Amino acid sequence: MKKIQVRHDIQYDNSRMKGSLFLSGIRIVFQLSFFQGKRSKKSRLFALLSFSPIALALFLRIHQTLSPERSFDGLYFFNNAILIFIFQFLILVLTLFYGTSISTEDLEAGTWAYLVTRPIPRASIVIGKYLSSLILAAAIIGTGLIVSFLILNLESLARISIYGYLIKDLAVLWLALMAYTSFFTFLGASIRRSVFFGLIFSFGWENVIQYFPGSTQRLAIIHYIKSIIPLPSSGRFSFLTFQLEPTKPAYAVLALLGISLFFLVLACLIFIYKEPRAED
Amino acid sequence: MKPRIVTEHLSRWYGNVLGLSDVNLEIGPGITGLLGPNGAGKSTLLKLITGQIRPSLGRVTIDGQPVRGRTDLFFRLGYCPEQDAFFDGFTGWEFLYWLLRLHHFSGEKAAEKTEEMLRLVELEADAYRPIRSYSRGMRQRLKLAQALAHEPEILILDEPLNGLDPLSKRKMIRLIRDFGQEGRLVLVSSHILPEIEALTRQIILIHQGKVFAQGDIHEIRDLIERHPHVVSVKSRNARRLAAWLIQQPYVVKIYFGENDDNLFVETRDRDKFFNFLLELVAAGEIELEEITSPDDNLQAVFDYLIGKA
Repeated sequence: MKKIQVRHDIQYDNSRMKGSLFLSGIRIVFQLSFFQGKRSKKSRLFALLSFSPIALALFLRIHQTLSPERSFDGLYFFNNAILIFIFQFLILVLTLFYGTSISTEDLEAGTWAYLVTRPIPRASIVIGKYLSSLILAAAIIGTGLIVSFLILNLESLARISIYGYLIKDLAVLWLALMAYTSFFTFLGASIRRSVFFGLIFSFGWENVIQYFPGSTQRLAIIHYIKSIIPLPSSGRFSFLTFQLEPTKPAYAVLALLGISLFFLVLACLIFIYKEPRAED
Repeated sequence: MKPRIVTEHLSRWYGNVLGLSDVNLEIGPGITGLLGPNGAGKSTLLKLITGQIRPSLGRVTIDGQPVRGRTDLFFRLGYCPEQDAFFDGFTGWEFLYWLLRLHHFSGEKAAEKTEEMLRLVELEADAYRPIRSYSRGMRQRLKLAQALAHEPEILILDEPLNGLDPLSKRKMIRLIRDFGQEGRLVLVSSHILPEIEALTRQIILIHQGKVFAQGDIHEIRDLIERHPHVVSVKSRNARRLAAWLIQQPYVVKIYFGENDDNLFVETRDRDKFFNFLLELVAAGEIELEEITSPDDNLQAVFDYLIGKA
């Protein structure tokens, strides 16, 4: 065993560093969290789950090939099946598990002490992890969305106009991920059993509230997503995208950005004061 | 020497459960052992010092600054948690590298320091193996390496020797002592007395959330007036010596060991006792072969303080 050699060449310039600790902290935590996230079992499972829209698209495509006499509208199937599955199920599941774990997984795993005893502001930890969760969820769901879109619209790939739909869908996907991840980050930071309550919120509140008349439905995040998502309001699957009084798209975008910011700031504030329990 | 860590009336409750009560400490450079049984409040104190939890009452400062909210203080602080916890799926190299990055080291510098630290704790051959395949001793050394890697001025170690085999323990003790000899502050907790004895004579005794004593083990022993010191004296004139000693008011008990030449004396004033003994030797009244203090060790002090003895 060697004797410790003190190296005096490593000097921290705290005064210079202090101002950039916050941003530098976000960047490093993001990199660490992304490194962890892309190899995690959770991400692998979600990546597998994100293949379900692709599998569904392939199934529809094969079915159409075997029954050529039937007319096939790729965009119709994409909007009525794939988007509904993504926006009303996949996004909720991924953001629920990614978001709630941001402030709880290190506490549960016992690695929390390594993070909070570093020269990194606690808010940077939340924001860095939030951003990495967002990128991971976007990459996982975005891949499923893009590939299934291309599969279902094989005949129309030469038409430039069709990509407008895709870009809009991806933009709404990003906004939805931001808002939900932010909300679930807040939920994870503020209450125990956040996954349980998150499930109730996702598949209870978010679904039920949209059938309420008046402004009550505006208390659901899905309301704003549906206000900008290009989902058809008629057809066989229209009951899944039911909406009484949509908000104007511009306001809906602002509302989603506001929700994202509001809950992220709240989550940061809660995390700053968060402590391990006695049993931890 | 100026204390670097100061706690003033530091108290912490977990709901109705008392974690720490009215702790006033001043800890300066060198190795200080924090000793107490499991559940005594050692980890709570270390978590308060490292800003992981807030005090319910009182305050803790490092170099005069409150720990909470002073992110830059952590440049000076290294912490080794008690929990055997690591980032899931990480190798030893990745673990150290990323924790160095969290200290704002550049990627290149972090990689360089990682290699250096892995060599220091003799884990270079296992650097690219998952941590989950490491032995307990290897994991403890890795945890210590992450606390030392950024060369902190203050090192807080929570039960670093827990669960180690004797060889690993010896290596770890040497590492900690080397680090402490650099004039830095090392605060190391343990519930095992010989571990602390092997590291330092400067101790803080803690039990049921309260600090019972702080200082040199011998000084602490002297403070316990209600418990007499036991001194073992080996002399060919043991019986004659006993006759002299029994007349002294500060001698409370005398008994013989297995051999007739071994005398055990319980005294309330060790200084007076030793002075008297020296006078007898100088006057040629007795010859001494050996003097030891069998109860002058951490276990005895600890037992006295918590009321076992």
